[in-house]
Amino acid sequence: MDPTEIVAGFRRDKSDLLPMLHALQDSHPQNYLTSESLKAAAGHLNVNLSWVYGVAGYYSMFSLEPRGRYIIRICNSPVCSLMGSGTMIETLESILGIDQGETTPDGLFTIEESECLGICEVAPAMMINREVYGNLNPERIAEIVDDIRNRQKQKQ
Amino acid sequence: MNAKETMVTITIDEKTIQAPSGANLLEVARTNGFAVPGLCYHRKLTPTGACRLCLVKIEGMRGLVTSCTVKVTEGMKVTAFDDEIENTRRLLLNYLLYEHNDTYDGTYPDEMRELIIRYGLDKPENRYFPSVWQTLPFEKDDTSPVLTYDPAKCIKCFRCIKACDEVQGKNVLSFTERGIKSFIIAGTGVWGESECDGCGECIQLCPTGAIVEKPYRDVIELDKLERTVITTCPYCGVGCQIELLVQDGKIVRSNGVEGVSPNDGRLCVKGRFGYEFVHSHDRLTKPLIKRNGRFEEASWDEALNLIAGRFTAIREKYGSDALAGYASAKCTNEDNYLFQKFIRTVFGTNNIDYCTRLCHASTVTAMLKAIGDGAGSNPIEDFETVDCLFVTGNNIIDTHPITATYVKRGAAKGQKIIVVDPRWTPLVRYATVWLQPKLGTDVALLNGLCHIIIKNGWVNRKFIEERVEGGIEAFSQLEELVSSYTPDEVASITGVPEEKLELAAELYATSSTSMIATGMGLSQQVTGTHNVFCLINMMLITGQVGRERCGINPPRGQNNVQGATDVGCSPANYPGYIPVLNDENRRKVAGIWGVPYDSLSARPGLTTVEIMQAAYDGRIKAMYIMGENPMISDPNLNHTEEALKKMEFVVVQDIFHTETTPFADVILPASSWAEKEGTFVNSDRRVLRVRKAVECPGEAREDWKIIHELAKRMGKPMPGYRNEAEIFDELAKVTPIMGGISFERLEKGSIQWPCPSPGHPGTPTLYLENFNTQTGRGKLFPVEYSPQNEKVDGEYPLMLNSGRLLYHYHTATMTRRTKALRDFVDEAFVLMHPNDAARQMITEGSKVRLESRRGVIETVARISEEVLEGEVFMPWHFTESQVNRLTRDELDPYSKIAPFKLSAVRVTRI
Amino acid sequence: MISENRIILKNAGHINPASIDDYIAAGGYGALAKAIREKPEMVVEEIADSGLRGRGGAGFPTGIKKKAAAGATTAGIKYVVCNADEGEPGTFKDREIMENDPHLLVEGMVIAAYGIGAGKGFIYVRGEYYRSIEMLQKAINQAKEKNFLGNEILGSRFSFDLEIMPGAGSYLCGEELTLLESLEGKRGYPRIKPPFPAEKGLWGEPTLVNNVETLASLPSIISHGAGWYRSRGTEKTPGTKIFTISGDVKKPGCYETDAGVKLRDLIDDLAGGTADGKPWKAVLLGGAAGTFVPHGWSDATMCYDELRERGATLGSGAVIVVGSRRKLIPFIQNILKFFRHESCGKCVPCRIGTSYLHAQSLLLDKAGAEERKAILNDMLDNSRQMAKSSLCPLGQSPILPVESLHRHFMETVAVE
Repeated sequence: MDPTEIVAGFRRDKSDLLPMLHALQDSHPQNYLTSESLKAAAGHLNVNLSWVYGVAGYYSMFSLEPRGRYIIRICNSPVCSLMGSGTMIETLESILGIDQGETTPDGLFTIEESECLGICEVAPAMMINREVYGNLNPERIAEIVDDIRNRQKQKQ
Repeated sequence: MNAKETMVTITIDEKTIQAPSGANLLEVARTNGFAVPGLCYHRKLTPTGACRLCLVKIEGMRGLVTSCTVKVTEGMKVTAFDDEIENTRRLLLNYLLYEHNDTYDGTYPDEMRELIIRYGLDKPENRYFPSVWQTLPFEKDDTSPVLTYDPAKCIKCFRCIKACDEVQGKNVLSFTERGIKSFIIAGTGVWGESECDGCGECIQLCPTGAIVEKPYRDVIELDKLERTVITTCPYCGVGCQIELLVQDGKIVRSNGVEGVSPNDGRLCVKGRFGYEFVHSHDRLTKPLIKRNGRFEEASWDEALNLIAGRFTAIREKYGSDALAGYASAKCTNEDNYLFQKFIRTVFGTNNIDYCTRLCHASTVTAMLKAIGDGAGSNPIEDFETVDCLFVTGNNIIDTHPITATYVKRGAAKGQKIIVVDPRWTPLVRYATVWLQPKLGTDVALLNGLCHIIIKNGWVNRKFIEERVEGGIEAFSQLEELVSSYTPDEVASITGVPEEKLELAAELYATSSTSMIATGMGLSQQVTGTHNVFCLINMMLITGQVGRERCGINPPRGQNNVQGATDVGCSPANYPGYIPVLNDENRRKVAGIWGVPYDSLSARPGLTTVEIMQAAYDGRIKAMYIMGENPMISDPNLNHTEEALKKMEFVVVQDIFHTETTPFADVILPASSWAEKEGTFVNSDRRVLRVRKAVECPGEAREDWKIIHELAKRMGKPMPGYRNEAEIFDELAKVTPIMGGISFERLEKGSIQWPCPSPGHPGTPTLYLENFNTQTGRGKLFPVEYSPQNEKVDGEYPLMLNSGRLLYHYHTATMTRRTKALRDFVDEAFVLMHPNDAARQMITEGSKVRLESRRGVIETVARISEEVLEGEVFMPWHFTESQVNRLTRDELDPYSKIAPFKLSAVRVTRI
Repeated sequence: MISENRIILKNAGHINPASIDDYIAAGGYGALAKAIREKPEMVVEEIADSGLRGRGGAGFPTGIKKKAAAGATTAGIKYVVCNADEGEPGTFKDREIMENDPHLLVEGMVIAAYGIGAGKGFIYVRGEYYRSIEMLQKAINQAKEKNFLGNEILGSRFSFDLEIMPGAGSYLCGEELTLLESLEGKRGYPRIKPPFPAEKGLWGEPTLVNNVETLASLPSIISHGAGWYRSRGTEKTPGTKIFTISGDVKKPGCYETDAGVKLRDLIDDLAGGTADGKPWKAVLLGGAAGTFVPHGWSDATMCYDELRERGATLGSGAVIVVGSRRKLIPFIQNILKFFRHESCGKCVPCRIGTSYLHAQSLLLDKAGAEERKAILNDMLDNSRQMAKSSLCPLGQSPILPVESLHRHFMETVAVE
């Protein structure tokens, strides 16, 4: 959907900026906020661009750079780190062939180190887009990644 | 200090102090000699509490508290300095040195550096932490034409963001990222592509070298300055106080002067960066005489003798009234006062006028007739504190940027703003209601508003009875006339919807204080004077005048356009607005000037455009033009050109070659505002000092000295003034409204006229007791609407409106010789509505030709919905597309102004 | 042997959280119906009398906040804001409530709003809690249909509108004043206090800001009365508390018991004891902004004041168990990395202090024993200074884990 169409669905209330940015980001296949999106948001709320850029730059969930279709948020906060998130991150990096913060060349996965996701009872844990995966180990991670890869292939 | 404020007693480090209740604790401490450090706090901004350096202990409050966020209360016991607090402050500075690049290049004032030295941290052995700023992912932003942002020097104090938001109302800046990686962005992160307009408030308030001016940064060394001079800005009529920094005989920086009216440290891009032209290589440095069609350098003797001879000969052959003079809105009062004295005593005529005729002539004419004074009735601060501001034909944000900062602050506090403008301007974003009438329909609009006000009973009967000439009877005549201007009728004439008319009328009439700001939109029309009469009618019947924070204000466009008329550069008035026809005054002035009474002409002279028309008709044979560029600023330029060519002898006195100098017989090199002492008068009647910062280049001379010398050589010498202060003293004797002002008094600050005697404090608001008319009352002038003579038709289907831009100044002789300003904008254009453009197959950037019944020009098109369909807009600054080739010189019968705002044109793609 | 006392979590796992009928059948919205028949002041009194303390982490008496907000006047409207930005590491109780019994939160908010006279409410849910947002939105829609929300609730003259607003990944936005900034569409910078939200909160209006668990406690207090609430827990921390136990235990999860139970009972009786059966090395109580306690403190009483007196924290109720084989150095490094990442950057001591502390903790790896002690001393000094001079609770937090580590585990860290 066109950014101007998306922002038109929101009130002209600054309180709506975060939900607006989420909607704009989620509507983009590369899960990021384009400058067009940010300009649309600024225009709709009648604020200057730096306000919107500044907000997008503050919050961890927003990205100003293109990312993959699947954002892997691997928790690396105290409980998960205690329970072995370091190994999980290494596993992911190894399976996907990219470093933390990068996107796979096929545009499918981005690995992002995340702060506490509030699912500590199943640490080490991660989220991929909206799905939660807990009690991770290297085998499970491999399974999950494969699963997603297969689902993508079926879509095509 | 307000007598109604309650004082409280507090102690700081056991010293007892009196302070106003609720005052800021940090301010109170500092005022009382406690040098509590702080970097994020600034008097002009809301407190932030980010740097934590101002921490103190307050009895009854836990731990350390930032004094900048505390308001004093009775009995407060504060510890500002003890070992623990000082150690904490030292640690905080140490923390800052972890992330801050503390190398210093001497080009900016560095508050942080002062603190570093004060706390002994300039010695590396005293530092606690390593310096890691090099490892942080920062990049300098060098993309702005006027400043550089260095995040490695940024201490994230929020001052620049707040300066931009709270002081200037522009909201351009924000932080991005988070934590130690945060840095400032303008717009999307490329400063040069953002909405930043270069006002530099952020530069001035930045406590480190994070934001620094670009111009002359490679040259300036703050400890090598020769002098700093406080003077008045040479651009618009706000009259900002600026501090010029001079190094090696050149101006290298301009700062706003904090804490003084009218600007309290604020500047716009022109005031902050527009000084470069002073040192341009284009400056005229030698007199030039035209021989055989070419200009040749000459000595002053040669030039002045030639001029004296020719002027004298022409006067003797054709009579005094065959001579005329254009004074200068850019020159000082002293220059202008001597100029009008010269025209009156040496030429012997009242043919003196200047570009004010092209500008606020209608406003001033109407105001003089109706309320008796031709200047703004309110001080600039009222723009922030009035309840309702009625702005008509005035693009305040671009043309009077500092006045606009007051308006924006008022808007943030809930001020109601009514904007009347056929074209979108940035002020519309703040408008409570925007009326967009078709060009030339203002009388109908304003009569319509009066109609609504009267119908709803929103008139102030008491005011009408007590302060309007003719009382209720005169009012009834107005009521009768506007009775046919029903909302329905007015909506159809102007195109403004009825609901908007009703809302505007209600807001203006029923707000407890309403103030008018009126600009070129109303004035520069054939019905200009009538337009302003209607505005004044509305003001008088609602009683929104004669009290504080009420009145009518024409923001003046040039640094001394107000002053030049005040000191007599007018064909109809002597200094102080006393009519030429006033016998008694002429007698008095003749006495002061030491000339025979009957040598002073009793015949009012010709106005600016009339002078050119008379030259065209052969009635004016010679002109003395000082600091004016009629070949850009006069209407109907083809006609003006002919007029100049026809005259027998023309002298142009200026600082640069202009579009007018080719038509001169002699060109005299004169002084810029930075090269002489003197005074200006700004829009709110403040007499402001102008101080000399640098020497005239080459053989250029102060304007008043040239005039003085010329008078001598024409056999009518003036007294030997030793300096400008003496000129002012004589001026004060002749000009009753400035009678009590002198250079000595002005050392203590500006004074608003009327100030008739040395003990008088000056007058912030006019008309509190009386209007300045014969009866002391205001006059109503009911007038009917009549459509313009200039009509669109099949051949010329669009109406051309003209106006200004923020970055350029009038004929751009100064601004286009300043790199910083050219970097922002340097191109002419015409703004067209998409539908009009589409009809001609014109797209963004197309080259186009504009033609009117008077002339032809070419420029580039820009497409925008900021203009109404059927109307186009052009800025008039640019010589490559001279808008006034297209305008006409049909004049307003009273003010003699030309209708720059209305010319029928056609636009075709080239 | 202790067992759970599931008051707040009564319905969780037993009803269909997507069904308002299930909730009503279990007694839901009865408290609201009761409250709305009484005067608002009575509701506030009841809550104040119950001694309920804010469950977000600060433990501030809720009654004081409510009275302040109720007493505030405005020409505009008052707000109730639910702080569902659960970001404290090791804390997941609010998620449990929102996913499994969202109506409980809705009901609690309406009761709170009625008490203070608020017209509009927001639930600020952290952006990553997609399921919570989904469940809450369903609950709000259902509640509106049945007139538990909206105009003239249950036939009274009280109207209240509720909306969900998502966060977007910022721990600091769980601090109440920063949350309000975020709700106003801005970067998450904390405000200066005073003024407090009850006086000037959202958009400058009087605002009550409360944690999910706090608001979810209100229906049972209204239903059963302050006395009933006071009959469990301790004198100063009455009622029940949801503890989130994670780390090296057999059964990590949410456990609700009376406040005042002993730490070892939580770990052994409820969470099944340590994963490897050996005595735990340390427990981090309260999250990253929490304190380490040694095994010798197994008998610590889990309530706000008694823990504080001993130099520990109850905080959000997070109980992170560090097993015998775990190393503390990487753990403290990770905690300090968390603070560095979440610091907003507004105030000097926190912006730089959090970076410095993290950098110092990294030096522990290669340092010898004596050097490690010196580093810990330096870290303690710095975190003390940060606590003294920072603008908001984030900068005032690193001292908690650092000081407790220094106090109880200096030798352990030195030789690790």
